[in-house]
Amino acid sequence: MEVVYNVISFIIKNYSRILEYTGNHFSLVLTVLFFSLILWITVGLLISKYDRYAGSVIGLANIIFVIPSISLFGLFVTIPQLGLGRKSAALALILYAMMPLVRNVYRGVKSVDQSVLEAGRGMGMSGTELLFQIQIPMAWPVVFAGIRVAAVMITGMATVATFIGERNLGRLIHHGITRGNEDMIIAGAVIVSIISLMLDFILSQVEKKFTSPGLRQSG
Amino acid sequence: MKKSLPRQGCVKAARNVQGAVHKMIQLKKVHKTFPNTAVPAVDEVSFKIEKGNICVFVGPSGCGKTTILRMINRLVEPTGGSIYIDGENIMDVDGDQLRRRIGYVIQQIGLLPHRTIEQNIGLVPRLLKWPEDRINKRVKELMEIVGLDPQETAWKYPYQLSGGQMQRAGVARALAVDPPIMLMDEPFGAVDPIVRGRLQDEFLRLQQEVKKTICFVTHDINEALKMGDYIVVLNAGKLVQKGTPMEMLSDPANDFVKDLIGDDRGVKLLDLTRAESLLQATTSKTAKTVRECSCYIDALQPVKMALEVMMKHNSDMVGIRRGDQVIGTLSWTEIKQHINKISGDQ
Repeated sequence: MEVVYNVISFIIKNYSRILEYTGNHFSLVLTVLFFSLILWITVGLLISKYDRYAGSVIGLANIIFVIPSISLFGLFVTIPQLGLGRKSAALALILYAMMPLVRNVYRGVKSVDQSVLEAGRGMGMSGTELLFQIQIPMAWPVVFAGIRVAAVMITGMATVATFIGERNLGRLIHHGITRGNEDMIIAGAVIVSIISLMLDFILSQVEKKFTSPGLRQSG
Repeated sequence: MKKSLPRQGCVKAARNVQGAVHKMIQLKKVHKTFPNTAVPAVDEVSFKIEKGNICVFVGPSGCGKTTILRMINRLVEPTGGSIYIDGENIMDVDGDQLRRRIGYVIQQIGLLPHRTIEQNIGLVPRLLKWPEDRINKRVKELMEIVGLDPQETAWKYPYQLSGGQMQRAGVARALAVDPPIMLMDEPFGAVDPIVRGRLQDEFLRLQQEVKKTICFVTHDINEALKMGDYIVVLNAGKLVQKGTPMEMLSDPANDFVKDLIGDDRGVKLLDLTRAESLLQATTSKTAKTVRECSCYIDALQPVKMALEVMMKHNSDMVGIRRGDQVIGTLSWTEIKQHINKISGDQ
Protein backbone atom coordinates (compact mmCIF):
# COMPACT_ATOMS: atom_id res chain seq x y z
CA MET A 1 0.00 0.00 0.00
CA GLU A 2 2.87 2.26 0.76
CA VAL A 3 4.12 1.99 -2.82
CA VAL A 4 0.75 3.08 -4.16
CA TYR A 5 0.69 6.01 -1.77
CA ASN A 6 4.22 7.03 -2.73
CA VAL A 7 3.53 6.80 -6.46
CA ILE A 8 0.35 8.83 -6.14
CA SER A 9 2.01 11.49 -4.07
CA PHE A 10 4.87 11.60 -6.56
CA ILE A 11 2.41 12.14 -9.40
CA ILE A 12 0.61 14.89 -7.47
CA LYS A 13 3.85 16.64 -6.59
CA ASN A 14 5.16 16.57 -10.14
CA TYR A 15 1.77 17.17 -11.66
CA SER A 16 2.71 19.72 -14.32
CA ARG A 17 5.84 17.89 -15.49
CA ILE A 18 3.99 14.59 -15.79
CA LEU A 19 1.19 16.28 -17.67
CA GLU A 20 3.68 17.68 -20.15
CA TYR A 21 5.33 14.28 -20.62
CA THR A 22 1.99 12.57 -21.04
CA GLY A 23 0.88 15.15 -23.58
CA ASN A 24 4.09 14.70 -25.55
CA HIS A 25 3.81 10.95 -25.38
CA PHE A 26 0.25 10.98 -26.53
CA SER A 27 0.85 13.38 -29.38
CA LEU A 28 3.81 11.32 -30.64
CA VAL A 29 1.74 8.15 -30.58
CA LEU A 30 -1.18 9.77 -32.38
CA THR A 31 1.07 11.31 -35.04
CA VAL A 32 2.74 7.99 -35.67
CA LEU A 33 -0.56 6.16 -35.73
CA PHE A 34 -2.07 8.65 -38.17
CA PHE A 35 0.74 8.40 -40.72
CA SER A 36 1.16 4.64 -40.22
CA LEU A 37 -2.48 3.93 -40.95
CA ILE A 38 -2.51 5.97 -44.15
CA LEU A 39 0.79 4.60 -45.35
CA TRP A 40 0.66 0.94 -44.35
CA ILE A 41 -2.97 0.24 -45.09
CA THR A 42 -2.37 1.58 -48.59
CA VAL A 43 0.73 -0.58 -48.94
CA GLY A 44 -1.18 -3.58 -47.60
CA LEU A 45 -3.96 -3.10 -50.13
CA LEU A 46 -1.46 -2.61 -52.94
CA ILE A 47 0.38 -5.83 -52.22
CA SER A 48 -2.88 -7.75 -52.02
CA LYS A 49 -3.60 -6.51 -55.52
CA TYR A 50 -0.06 -6.96 -56.85
CA ASP A 51 0.63 -10.26 -55.21
CA ARG A 52 4.11 -10.77 -56.58
CA TYR A 53 5.48 -7.98 -54.36
CA ALA A 54 3.80 -9.28 -51.22
CA GLY A 55 6.61 -11.60 -50.16
CA SER A 56 9.36 -9.02 -50.37
CA VAL A 57 7.33 -6.20 -48.78
CA ILE A 58 6.28 -8.33 -45.82
CA GLY A 59 9.84 -9.66 -45.59
CA LEU A 60 11.14 -6.10 -45.38
CA ALA A 61 8.59 -5.28 -42.68
CA ASN A 62 9.77 -8.29 -40.68
CA ILE A 63 13.41 -7.29 -41.00
CA ILE A 64 12.67 -3.74 -39.80
CA PHE A 65 10.64 -5.13 -36.95
CA VAL A 66 13.52 -7.16 -35.53
CA ILE A 67 15.98 -4.24 -35.47
CA PRO A 68 16.41 -3.24 -31.80
CA SER A 69 14.50 0.01 -31.42
CA ILE A 70 17.21 1.88 -29.59
CA SER A 71 19.64 1.34 -32.47
CA LEU A 72 17.16 2.49 -35.10
CA PHE A 73 16.43 5.66 -33.09
CA GLY A 74 20.15 6.24 -32.77
CA LEU A 75 20.74 5.67 -36.47
CA PHE A 76 18.13 8.21 -37.54
CA VAL A 77 19.63 10.87 -35.25
CA THR A 78 22.82 10.70 -37.31
CA ILE A 79 20.90 11.70 -40.44
CA PRO A 80 21.22 15.51 -40.57
CA GLN A 81 17.71 16.16 -41.88
CA LEU A 82 16.20 14.25 -38.97
CA GLY A 83 18.43 14.92 -35.99
CA LEU A 84 17.40 14.66 -32.36
CA GLY A 85 13.76 14.72 -31.42
CA ARG A 86 10.33 14.24 -32.90
CA LYS A 87 11.21 13.59 -36.56
CA SER A 88 13.56 10.70 -35.90
CA ALA A 89 11.32 9.24 -33.23
CA ALA A 90 8.21 9.39 -35.42
CA LEU A 91 9.94 7.92 -38.45
CA ALA A 92 11.37 4.99 -36.52
CA LEU A 93 8.03 4.21 -34.89
CA ILE A 94 6.22 4.42 -38.23
CA LEU A 95 8.63 1.82 -39.57
CA TYR A 96 7.96 -0.47 -36.62
CA ALA A 97 4.23 -0.21 -37.24
CA MET A 98 4.73 -1.49 -40.76
CA MET A 99 4.87 -5.16 -39.79
CA PRO A 100 1.60 -5.56 -37.86
CA LEU A 101 -0.32 -3.27 -40.21
CA VAL A 102 0.88 -4.39 -43.65
CA ARG A 103 0.80 -8.03 -42.70
CA ASN A 104 -2.70 -7.92 -41.26
CA VAL A 105 -4.17 -5.92 -44.12
CA TYR A 106 -2.70 -8.40 -46.58
CA ARG A 107 -3.76 -11.41 -44.54
CA GLY A 108 -7.23 -9.98 -44.01
CA VAL A 109 -7.86 -9.28 -47.67
CA LYS A 110 -6.47 -12.65 -48.68
CA SER A 111 -8.53 -14.55 -46.13
CA VAL A 112 -11.79 -13.55 -47.81
CA ASP A 113 -13.66 -16.68 -48.83
CA GLN A 114 -13.09 -17.45 -52.51
CA SER A 115 -16.70 -18.43 -53.09
CA VAL A 116 -17.85 -14.99 -51.93
CA LEU A 117 -15.51 -13.33 -54.40
CA GLU A 118 -16.59 -15.72 -57.12
CA ALA A 119 -20.22 -14.86 -56.46
CA GLY A 120 -19.42 -11.14 -56.43
CA ARG A 121 -17.59 -11.38 -59.71
CA GLY A 122 -20.31 -13.56 -61.19
CA MET A 123 -22.83 -10.87 -60.40
CA GLY A 124 -20.84 -8.29 -62.29
CA MET A 125 -18.90 -6.47 -59.58
CA SER A 126 -15.83 -4.68 -60.91
CA GLY A 127 -12.40 -5.04 -59.31
CA THR A 128 -12.85 -1.84 -57.32
CA GLU A 129 -16.35 -2.83 -56.21
CA LEU A 130 -15.02 -6.22 -55.07
CA LEU A 131 -12.29 -4.47 -53.07
CA PHE A 132 -14.47 -1.89 -51.36
CA GLN A 133 -17.69 -3.86 -50.99
CA ILE A 134 -16.35 -7.31 -50.21
CA GLN A 135 -12.64 -7.57 -49.49
CA ILE A 136 -12.14 -4.55 -47.23
CA PRO A 137 -15.30 -4.94 -45.14
CA MET A 138 -14.61 -8.64 -44.69
CA ALA A 139 -10.97 -7.98 -43.82
CA TRP A 140 -11.89 -5.42 -41.10
CA PRO A 141 -11.61 -7.73 -38.08
CA VAL A 142 -8.12 -8.88 -39.06
CA VAL A 143 -7.03 -5.36 -40.06
CA PHE A 144 -8.28 -4.02 -36.74
CA ALA A 145 -6.38 -6.65 -34.82
CA GLY A 146 -3.28 -5.28 -36.54
CA ILE A 147 -4.17 -1.68 -35.74
CA ARG A 148 -4.64 -2.52 -32.06
CA VAL A 149 -1.33 -4.35 -31.87
CA ALA A 150 0.37 -1.42 -33.61
CA ALA A 151 -1.17 1.15 -31.24
CA VAL A 152 -0.16 -0.70 -28.09
CA MET A 153 3.29 -1.40 -29.48
CA ILE A 154 3.92 2.22 -30.50
CA THR A 155 2.84 3.48 -27.09
CA GLY A 156 5.31 1.19 -25.37
CA MET A 157 8.14 1.75 -27.81
CA ALA A 158 7.75 5.53 -27.70
CA THR A 159 9.27 5.47 -24.21
CA VAL A 160 12.63 4.60 -25.76
CA ALA A 161 12.51 7.82 -27.77
CA THR A 162 13.46 9.66 -24.61
CA PHE A 163 17.08 8.79 -25.42
CA ILE A 164 16.90 10.89 -28.58
CA GLY A 165 15.43 13.92 -26.88
CA GLU A 166 11.69 13.26 -26.70
CA ARG A 167 10.37 14.64 -23.44
CA ASN A 168 7.81 11.93 -22.80
CA LEU A 169 6.94 9.33 -20.19
CA GLY A 170 10.04 7.38 -21.14
CA ARG A 171 12.01 10.15 -19.51
CA LEU A 172 10.23 9.49 -16.24
CA ILE A 173 11.24 5.84 -16.38
CA HIS A 174 14.76 6.63 -17.57
CA HIS A 175 15.37 9.19 -14.82
CA GLY A 176 13.82 6.85 -12.30
CA ILE A 177 16.35 4.20 -13.25
CA THR A 178 19.37 6.52 -13.14
CA ARG A 179 18.32 8.01 -9.81
CA GLY A 180 17.16 4.76 -8.29
CA ASN A 181 13.71 6.28 -7.73
CA GLU A 182 11.20 3.46 -7.97
CA ASP A 183 8.16 5.70 -7.54
CA MET A 184 9.21 7.55 -10.65
CA ILE A 185 9.65 4.31 -12.63
CA ILE A 186 6.31 2.95 -11.51
CA ALA A 187 4.51 6.23 -12.22
CA GLY A 188 5.92 6.30 -15.75
CA ALA A 189 5.14 2.67 -16.43
CA VAL A 190 1.61 2.90 -15.04
CA ILE A 191 0.72 5.96 -17.10
CA VAL A 192 2.14 4.35 -20.26
CA SER A 193 0.07 1.24 -19.56
CA ILE A 194 -3.04 3.32 -19.01
CA ILE A 195 -2.54 5.07 -22.36
CA SER A 196 -2.09 1.68 -24.04
CA LEU A 197 -5.21 0.23 -22.47
CA MET A 198 -7.20 3.33 -23.28
CA LEU A 199 -6.16 3.33 -26.93
CA ASP A 200 -6.91 -0.36 -27.16
CA PHE A 201 -10.33 0.16 -25.63
CA ILE A 202 -11.19 3.06 -27.93
CA LEU A 203 -10.06 1.06 -30.95
CA SER A 204 -12.09 -1.94 -29.85
CA GLN A 205 -15.17 0.31 -29.75
CA VAL A 206 -14.35 1.65 -33.21
CA GLU A 207 -13.88 -1.90 -34.43
CA LYS A 208 -17.28 -2.90 -33.10
CA LYS A 209 -18.85 0.02 -34.87
CA PHE A 210 -17.20 -0.72 -38.19
CA THR A 211 -17.45 -4.50 -38.23
CA SER A 212 -20.64 -5.97 -39.62
CA PRO A 213 -22.60 -8.02 -37.06
CA GLY A 214 -22.67 -10.72 -39.72
CA LEU A 215 -18.91 -11.13 -39.32
CA ARG A 216 -18.68 -10.60 -35.59
CA GLN A 217 -21.08 -13.37 -34.71
CA SER A 218 -19.83 -15.98 -37.12
CA GLY A 219 -16.14 -15.20 -36.76
CA MET B 1 -40.72 -26.50 -79.43
CA LYS B 2 -38.94 -29.75 -79.08
CA LYS B 3 -38.68 -31.91 -82.09
CA SER B 4 -37.83 -35.56 -82.70
CA LEU B 5 -39.29 -38.50 -80.85
CA PRO B 6 -42.90 -38.56 -79.87
CA ARG B 7 -43.03 -36.14 -76.95
CA GLN B 8 -46.69 -36.15 -76.07
CA GLY B 9 -45.98 -38.29 -73.05
CA CYS B 10 -43.28 -36.18 -71.55
CA VAL B 11 -44.01 -34.64 -68.18
CA LYS B 12 -41.66 -31.81 -69.08
CA ALA B 13 -43.52 -30.81 -72.23
CA ALA B 14 -45.71 -28.56 -70.11
CA ARG B 15 -42.73 -26.42 -69.21
CA ASN B 16 -41.95 -25.37 -72.75
CA VAL B 17 -42.62 -21.85 -73.84
CA GLN B 18 -45.13 -21.59 -76.60
CA GLY B 19 -44.34 -19.73 -79.78
CA ALA B 20 -41.52 -19.48 -82.24
CA VAL B 21 -38.27 -21.32 -81.71
CA HIS B 22 -35.81 -18.88 -80.26
CA LYS B 23 -32.17 -19.67 -79.74
CA MET B 24 -31.22 -17.81 -76.61
CA ILE B 25 -27.72 -19.11 -76.11
CA GLN B 26 -25.57 -20.59 -78.80
CA LEU B 27 -22.10 -22.07 -78.54
CA LYS B 28 -20.09 -22.56 -81.71
CA LYS B 29 -17.03 -24.81 -81.51
CA VAL B 30 -16.13 -23.38 -78.14
CA HIS B 31 -12.68 -24.32 -77.00
CA LYS B 32 -10.75 -23.66 -73.80
CA THR B 33 -7.25 -24.68 -72.90
CA PHE B 34 -6.05 -23.33 -69.56
CA PRO B 35 -2.52 -21.93 -69.40
CA ASN B 36 0.16 -24.52 -68.68
CA THR B 37 -2.04 -27.47 -69.55
CA ALA B 38 -1.76 -29.65 -72.60
CA VAL B 39 -5.26 -31.10 -72.65
CA PRO B 40 -8.12 -28.76 -73.48
CA ALA B 41 -10.69 -28.38 -70.70
CA VAL B 42 -13.40 -27.82 -73.29
CA ASP B 43 -12.92 -29.13 -76.80
CA GLU B 44 -14.94 -27.76 -79.71
CA VAL B 45 -18.31 -27.88 -78.03
CA SER B 46 -21.35 -26.62 -79.94
CA PHE B 47 -24.97 -26.54 -78.89
CA LYS B 48 -27.95 -24.24 -78.71
CA ILE B 49 -30.30 -23.51 -75.87
CA GLU B 50 -33.81 -22.42 -76.61
CA LYS B 51 -35.48 -19.58 -74.78
CA GLY B 52 -37.30 -20.57 -71.61
CA ASN B 53 -35.63 -23.96 -71.38
CA ILE B 54 -33.53 -25.52 -68.68
CA CYS B 55 -30.41 -26.94 -70.23
CA VAL B 56 -28.43 -29.23 -67.95
CA PHE B 57 -24.71 -29.86 -68.41
CA VAL B 58 -23.96 -33.22 -66.88
CA GLY B 59 -20.83 -35.31 -66.60
CA PRO B 60 -18.12 -36.46 -64.18
CA SER B 61 -15.82 -34.00 -62.39
CA GLY B 62 -13.38 -32.33 -64.72
CA CYS B 63 -15.56 -32.89 -67.78
CA GLY B 64 -15.64 -29.16 -68.49
CA LYS B 65 -19.23 -28.47 -67.50
CA THR B 66 -18.43 -25.69 -65.04
CA THR B 67 -15.89 -24.19 -67.44
CA ILE B 68 -18.56 -23.98 -70.14
CA LEU B 69 -20.94 -22.32 -67.69
CA ARG B 70 -18.30 -19.81 -66.65
CA MET B 71 -17.52 -19.03 -70.27
CA ILE B 72 -21.11 -18.02 -70.89
CA ASN B 73 -20.78 -15.10 -68.46
CA ARG B 74 -17.12 -14.56 -69.31
CA LEU B 75 -15.72 -15.47 -65.92
CA VAL B 76 -13.53 -17.65 -68.13
CA GLU B 77 -12.55 -16.45 -71.59
CA PRO B 78 -12.72 -19.08 -74.33
CA THR B 79 -9.54 -19.74 -76.30
CA GLY B 80 -11.49 -20.59 -79.43
CA GLY B 81 -14.95 -20.56 -80.95
CA SER B 82 -17.69 -18.12 -80.09
CA ILE B 83 -20.68 -17.77 -77.81
CA TYR B 84 -23.81 -15.86 -78.73
CA ILE B 85 -26.53 -14.65 -76.42
CA ASP B 86 -29.64 -13.53 -78.22
CA GLY B 87 -27.61 -13.31 -81.42
CA GLU B 88 -24.95 -11.09 -79.90
CA ASN B 89 -21.36 -12.27 -79.57
CA ILE B 90 -20.56 -12.02 -75.86
CA MET B 91 -17.01 -10.89 -76.59
CA ASP B 92 -18.50 -7.63 -77.86
CA VAL B 93 -19.95 -6.87 -74.42
CA ASP B 94 -18.06 -5.65 -71.34
CA GLY B 95 -17.65 -8.57 -68.93
CA ASP B 96 -19.02 -6.83 -65.83
CA GLN B 97 -21.99 -5.44 -67.75
CA LEU B 98 -22.68 -8.87 -69.23
CA ARG B 99 -22.61 -10.54 -65.82
CA ARG B 100 -25.07 -8.03 -64.34
CA ARG B 101 -27.58 -9.18 -66.95
CA ILE B 102 -27.12 -12.87 -66.18
CA GLY B 103 -28.21 -14.51 -62.94
CA TYR B 104 -25.53 -16.61 -61.30
CA VAL B 105 -25.94 -19.20 -58.56
CA ILE B 106 -23.10 -21.37 -57.27
CA GLN B 107 -23.00 -24.36 -54.96
CA GLN B 108 -21.24 -22.47 -52.17
CA ILE B 109 -23.90 -19.77 -52.66
CA GLY B 110 -21.39 -17.05 -51.79
CA LEU B 111 -23.74 -14.79 -49.85
CA LEU B 112 -21.76 -11.85 -48.53
CA PRO B 113 -21.47 -12.66 -44.81
CA HIS B 114 -21.18 -9.01 -43.78
CA ARG B 115 -24.43 -8.01 -45.45
CA THR B 116 -27.99 -8.77 -44.41
CA ILE B 117 -30.13 -11.01 -46.57
CA GLU B 118 -31.97 -7.93 -47.78
CA GLN B 119 -28.69 -6.31 -48.84
CA ASN B 120 -27.48 -9.52 -50.45
CA ILE B 121 -30.58 -9.87 -52.58
CA GLY B 122 -30.45 -6.19 -53.50
CA LEU B 123 -26.82 -6.39 -54.54
CA VAL B 124 -27.15 -6.28 -58.32
CA PRO B 125 -29.97 -3.67 -58.32
CA ARG B 126 -27.66 -1.50 -56.22
CA LEU B 127 -24.80 -2.03 -58.67
CA LEU B 128 -27.19 -0.90 -61.38
CA LYS B 129 -28.10 2.13 -59.24
CA TRP B 130 -31.81 1.48 -58.94
CA PRO B 131 -33.63 3.95 -56.68
CA GLU B 132 -33.77 2.70 -53.08
CA ASP B 133 -37.56 2.30 -52.85
CA ARG B 134 -37.63 0.23 -56.02
CA ILE B 135 -34.92 -2.03 -54.59
CA ASN B 136 -36.84 -2.50 -51.34
CA LYS B 137 -40.01 -3.39 -53.17
CA ARG B 138 -38.22 -5.83 -55.44
CA VAL B 139 -36.37 -7.51 -52.56
CA LYS B 140 -39.59 -8.08 -50.66
CA GLU B 141 -41.23 -9.48 -53.77
CA LEU B 142 -38.30 -11.82 -54.44
CA MET B 143 -38.23 -13.11 -50.90
CA GLU B 144 -41.85 -14.06 -51.21
CA ILE B 145 -41.24 -15.71 -54.58
CA VAL B 146 -38.48 -17.97 -53.25
CA GLY B 147 -40.32 -18.67 -50.00
CA LEU B 148 -38.45 -16.59 -47.46
CA ASP B 149 -40.46 -14.59 -44.95
CA PRO B 150 -39.43 -10.94 -45.44
CA GLN B 151 -40.50 -9.96 -41.91
CA GLU B 152 -38.49 -12.77 -40.42
CA THR B 153 -35.43 -13.00 -42.64
CA ALA B 154 -34.75 -9.65 -44.32
CA TRP B 155 -32.56 -8.22 -41.57
CA LYS B 156 -30.75 -11.45 -40.75
CA TYR B 157 -27.17 -12.23 -41.68
CA PRO B 158 -26.27 -15.30 -43.74
CA TYR B 159 -24.86 -17.23 -40.76
CA GLN B 160 -28.28 -17.08 -39.11
CA LEU B 161 -29.92 -19.01 -41.96
CA SER B 162 -30.23 -22.73 -42.63
CA GLY B 163 -28.62 -24.24 -45.72
CA GLY B 164 -31.92 -24.37 -47.55
CA GLN B 165 -32.75 -20.76 -46.69
CA MET B 166 -29.33 -19.61 -47.85
CA GLN B 167 -29.85 -21.41 -51.14
CA ARG B 168 -33.21 -19.66 -51.56
CA ALA B 169 -31.55 -16.33 -50.85
CA GLY B 170 -28.92 -17.18 -53.46
CA VAL B 171 -31.60 -17.87 -56.04
CA ALA B 172 -33.45 -14.68 -55.10
CA ARG B 173 -30.25 -12.69 -55.50
CA ALA B 174 -29.70 -14.16 -58.96
CA LEU B 175 -33.28 -13.28 -59.95
CA ALA B 176 -33.05 -9.74 -58.61
CA VAL B 177 -32.94 -7.75 -61.83
CA ASP B 178 -35.08 -10.30 -63.62
CA PRO B 179 -32.33 -11.50 -65.95
CA PRO B 180 -33.56 -13.54 -68.92
CA ILE B 181 -30.71 -16.01 -68.37
CA MET B 182 -29.61 -17.83 -65.23
CA LEU B 183 -26.45 -19.85 -64.77
CA MET B 184 -26.58 -22.36 -61.94
CA ASP B 185 -23.57 -24.39 -60.88
CA GLU B 186 -24.73 -27.33 -58.75
CA PRO B 187 -27.07 -24.97 -56.94
CA PHE B 188 -28.58 -27.67 -54.76
CA GLY B 189 -25.39 -29.61 -54.19
CA ALA B 190 -24.69 -28.41 -50.68
CA VAL B 191 -27.99 -29.28 -49.00
CA ASP B 192 -29.19 -32.64 -47.75
CA PRO B 193 -31.19 -34.88 -50.10
CA ILE B 194 -34.58 -34.10 -48.57
CA VAL B 195 -34.13 -30.35 -48.81
CA ARG B 196 -32.58 -30.79 -52.25
CA GLY B 197 -35.65 -32.60 -53.56
CA ARG B 198 -37.89 -29.89 -52.16
CA LEU B 199 -35.79 -27.09 -53.61
CA GLN B 200 -35.78 -28.81 -56.99
CA ASP B 201 -39.55 -29.10 -57.01
CA GLU B 202 -39.97 -25.52 -55.89
CA PHE B 203 -37.52 -24.35 -58.47
CA LEU B 204 -39.37 -26.13 -61.28
CA ARG B 205 -42.60 -24.55 -60.09
CA LEU B 206 -40.90 -21.16 -59.99
CA GLN B 207 -39.55 -21.71 -63.49
CA GLN B 208 -43.12 -22.23 -64.74
CA GLU B 209 -43.78 -18.64 -63.71
CA VAL B 210 -40.54 -16.89 -64.53
CA LYS B 211 -39.64 -18.83 -67.70
CA LYS B 212 -35.93 -18.12 -67.62
CA THR B 213 -33.40 -19.61 -69.94
CA ILE B 214 -31.31 -21.65 -67.56
CA CYS B 215 -27.96 -23.38 -67.77
CA PHE B 216 -27.72 -25.87 -64.95
CA VAL B 217 -24.59 -27.80 -64.04
CA THR B 218 -24.77 -31.06 -62.12
CA HIS B 219 -22.91 -34.35 -61.87
CA ASP B 220 -26.07 -36.14 -60.80
CA ILE B 221 -27.84 -37.70 -63.77
CA ASN B 222 -31.08 -38.02 -61.84
CA GLU B 223 -31.08 -34.31 -61.14
CA ALA B 224 -30.30 -33.71 -64.82
CA LEU B 225 -33.24 -35.86 -65.94
CA LYS B 226 -35.53 -34.19 -63.43
CA MET B 227 -34.56 -30.59 -64.09
CA GLY B 228 -33.60 -30.59 -67.75
CA ASP B 229 -35.65 -29.78 -70.80
CA TYR B 230 -32.47 -30.41 -72.66
CA ILE B 231 -29.36 -32.25 -71.56
CA VAL B 232 -25.76 -31.90 -72.69
CA VAL B 233 -23.59 -34.83 -71.64
CA LEU B 234 -19.89 -34.05 -71.41
CA ASN B 235 -16.82 -36.15 -70.82
CA ALA B 236 -13.20 -35.00 -70.75
CA GLY B 237 -14.08 -31.69 -72.37
CA LYS B 238 -15.95 -33.23 -75.26
CA LEU B 239 -19.64 -33.19 -75.96
CA VAL B 240 -20.87 -36.78 -75.85
CA GLN B 241 -24.57 -36.37 -76.46
CA LYS B 242 -27.17 -33.63 -76.49
CA GLY B 243 -30.90 -34.07 -76.45
CA THR B 244 -34.02 -34.19 -74.36
CA PRO B 245 -34.19 -36.43 -71.27
CA MET B 246 -36.44 -38.76 -73.27
CA GLU B 247 -33.86 -39.02 -76.02
CA MET B 248 -31.09 -39.68 -73.52
CA LEU B 249 -33.03 -42.49 -71.92
CA SER B 250 -34.43 -44.11 -75.02
CA ASP B 251 -31.42 -43.69 -77.24
CA PRO B 252 -28.13 -43.24 -75.37
CA ALA B 253 -25.33 -42.41 -77.81
CA ASN B 254 -22.73 -44.78 -76.39
CA ASP B 255 -21.64 -46.83 -73.40
CA PHE B 256 -20.52 -43.75 -71.51
CA VAL B 257 -24.02 -42.29 -71.56
CA LYS B 258 -25.50 -45.70 -70.77
CA ASP B 259 -23.23 -46.02 -67.72
CA LEU B 260 -24.01 -42.50 -66.64
CA ILE B 261 -27.75 -43.13 -66.78
CA GLY B 262 -27.42 -46.48 -65.06
CA ASP B 263 -29.06 -49.85 -65.66
CA ASP B 264 -32.50 -48.64 -64.68
CA ARG B 265 -33.14 -46.66 -67.83
CA GLY B 266 -36.57 -48.16 -68.37
CA VAL B 267 -37.71 -47.34 -64.86
CA LYS B 268 -36.33 -43.80 -65.13
CA LEU B 269 -38.33 -43.38 -68.30
CA LEU B 270 -41.47 -44.07 -66.35
CA ASP B 271 -40.68 -41.05 -64.25
CA LEU B 272 -40.75 -38.87 -67.35
CA THR B 273 -43.83 -40.42 -68.91
CA ARG B 274 -47.25 -39.09 -68.03
CA ALA B 275 -49.88 -41.59 -67.11
CA GLU B 276 -52.29 -40.18 -69.69
CA SER B 277 -49.95 -41.09 -72.53
CA LEU B 278 -50.43 -44.83 -71.92
CA LEU B 279 -54.07 -44.51 -71.09
CA GLN B 280 -56.53 -47.16 -72.28
CA ALA B 281 -60.21 -46.58 -72.77
CA THR B 282 -62.26 -47.98 -69.93
CA THR B 283 -64.28 -51.10 -70.56
CA SER B 284 -67.00 -52.28 -68.25
CA LYS B 285 -64.67 -54.99 -66.97
CA THR B 286 -61.71 -52.72 -66.23
CA ALA B 287 -63.98 -50.10 -64.71
CA LYS B 288 -65.17 -52.68 -62.25
CA THR B 289 -61.65 -53.81 -61.36
CA VAL B 290 -60.55 -50.24 -60.72
CA ARG B 291 -63.64 -49.44 -58.69
CA GLU B 292 -63.10 -52.49 -56.50
CA CYS B 293 -59.57 -51.63 -55.50
CA SER B 294 -60.27 -47.89 -55.70
CA CYS B 295 -56.81 -47.04 -56.91
CA TYR B 296 -56.54 -43.89 -58.99
CA ILE B 297 -53.88 -41.49 -60.13
CA ASP B 298 -54.00 -38.12 -61.83
CA ALA B 299 -53.55 -37.98 -65.59
CA LEU B 300 -50.55 -35.68 -65.30
CA GLN B 301 -48.68 -37.81 -62.79
CA PRO B 302 -45.78 -39.92 -64.06
CA VAL B 303 -46.30 -43.59 -64.83
CA LYS B 304 -44.01 -44.37 -61.91
CA MET B 305 -46.83 -43.23 -59.62
CA ALA B 306 -49.12 -45.74 -61.28
CA LEU B 307 -46.67 -48.52 -60.37
CA GLU B 308 -46.50 -47.28 -56.81
CA VAL B 309 -50.29 -47.28 -56.47
CA MET B 310 -50.55 -50.71 -58.08
CA MET B 311 -48.07 -52.19 -55.64
CA LYS B 312 -49.71 -50.58 -52.66
CA HIS B 313 -53.14 -51.92 -53.57
CA ASN B 314 -51.85 -55.22 -54.95
CA SER B 315 -53.62 -54.58 -58.21
CA ASP B 316 -52.37 -54.71 -61.78
CA MET B 317 -54.47 -51.82 -62.92
CA VAL B 318 -55.10 -48.20 -61.93
CA GLY B 319 -57.73 -45.74 -62.94
CA ILE B 320 -56.67 -42.42 -64.42
CA ARG B 321 -58.50 -39.33 -63.38
CA ARG B 322 -58.58 -35.83 -64.67
CA GLY B 323 -60.14 -33.80 -61.94
CA ASP B 324 -62.93 -35.97 -60.55
CA GLN B 325 -63.60 -37.75 -63.76
CA VAL B 326 -62.18 -41.16 -64.59
CA ILE B 327 -60.88 -40.95 -68.14
CA GLY B 328 -59.30 -44.36 -68.55
CA THR B 329 -57.13 -47.07 -67.08
CA LEU B 330 -53.53 -48.11 -67.13
CA SER B 331 -52.43 -51.68 -66.66
CA TRP B 332 -49.20 -53.45 -65.84
CA THR B 333 -49.10 -55.01 -69.33
CA GLU B 334 -49.14 -51.64 -71.03
CA ILE B 335 -46.32 -50.33 -68.86
CA LYS B 336 -44.25 -53.42 -69.64
CA GLN B 337 -44.86 -53.00 -73.34
CA HIS B 338 -43.92 -49.36 -73.15
CA ILE B 339 -40.58 -50.10 -71.47
CA ASN B 340 -39.80 -52.84 -73.95
CA LYS B 341 -40.65 -50.65 -76.88
CA ILE B 342 -38.40 -47.80 -75.81
CA SER B 343 -35.46 -49.63 -74.33
CA GLY B 344 -35.84 -52.87 -76.19
CA ASP B 345 -32.15 -53.66 -76.20
CA GLN B 346 -31.90 -54.03 -72.45
